[in-house]
Amino acid sequence: MSPRPPTLRENRRYLLVRVEPAGTVIDQKDLYYAIADAVTSLWGDSVAGVITQAVVAAENGHVIIRCLRGTERELALALSTVISCRETRLALRIVAASGTIESLRERIRAITPLPEPVPEHVTGPVAASSAEPAECVFAGKPFLFAHCNGQKVDVIEKGFKNAHRLFLTRSDLEIS
Amino acid sequence: MKITDAAVFPYPCGDTSVRRLALEAGSLGFDSLVAMDVPAGSFGGVEVFSGILIKDAPMRDVIARVKRAKDSGTVVSVAARDNAFNRAAISLKGVHILRNIQAADKNAFDHVTAKMAADSNVAIDIDLSVLVAARGIARQRAIHRYRDLLALRRRFEFPVTLSSYARSYLELRAVREITGLGSLIDMDTAGVAAALGGVGRVTAPPVSAVRVIA
Repeated sequence: MSPRPPTLRENRRYLLVRVEPAGTVIDQKDLYYAIADAVTSLWGDSVAGVITQAVVAAENGHVIIRCLRGTERELALALSTVISCRETRLALRIVAASGTIESLRERIRAITPLPEPVPEHVTGPVAASSAEPAECVFAGKPFLFAHCNGQKVDVIEKGFKNAHRLFLTRSDLEIS
Repeated sequence: MKITDAAVFPYPCGDTSVRRLALEAGSLGFDSLVAMDVPAGSFGGVEVFSGILIKDAPMRDVIARVKRAKDSGTVVSVAARDNAFNRAAISLKGVHILRNIQAADKNAFDHVTAKMAADSNVAIDIDLSVLVAARGIARQRAIHRYRDLLALRRRFEFPVTLSSYARSYLELRAVREITGLGSLIDMDTAGVAAALGGVGRVTAPPVSAVRVIA
């Protein structure tokens, strides 16, 4: 089957979406199913069939999601109801919409920050080597740094049991 | 008019500290938050109001707790129950918000209660977490209840607030997303803007009907 000429193809739009929390490993297929479930649950099969959403790319903590032109609003609303992907809690924050994937890729390159070092002034017993994550203490419990970005600090409770992730700021660690 | 999320639950109820919630809320377009059971403050340009939620308590305890919180700057909320309880709660001086109306009885909020809420300047809360996280019949019921509530609001003009009930910053939603969610329950952009400013409306000191000029 030969591909359709451009004038006969459907017009599509692409949404650039940031996946939070930072550092979440995204499987495109799992995310596709999570989004398809949200779209179908909110709008029903008839509208989901028109939106024809698809996860086109996942890179640097962002995903690009395709939809039919004119259905961006419906897709964006459905994306705000996605709360997890395969038992992993996440939030999808819409950054931009565009008619081409390439312009969104440029946008990802422009907004992806450089990784920051963990805050030294709040570390307790500093890790022995740089390969190991540094530690901190919050509310009397030891935590490991999972991610730092500006004031935002994500920490994971130390230990193999109850490894909860907490979302804090540098000020919280300085005060505790 | 401040854009306010009327209920968040920071650490230790949730997994996000109040500072982080304020930081994230600021980046999502909010000016202030009502954080339950934490002291008030201002973090990163976002004002945090202290709030309490009274639920599953007999009326005598509700009265005592409201009295204790009066004039402390705390946003006092009461969880809705049956119609008689809701009317009594709304008529209490010092109650700012009536919550969980979607989980209360079908007849828990009628036109008389709506009129009382408008007269007493008590806001009725819309819980967005149900619209976001619930699926199937639970979400359909909530949408139906909120549409009914907003039909009464158009008639009686009582204040409405919008709450994310976020226990994590992942559960916060941007103002633009909230506007979209509002469209599901027949709430236009102006209605969403008014509801986001609802906390400011109910916590503002009452304006006297008569102004003494001399």
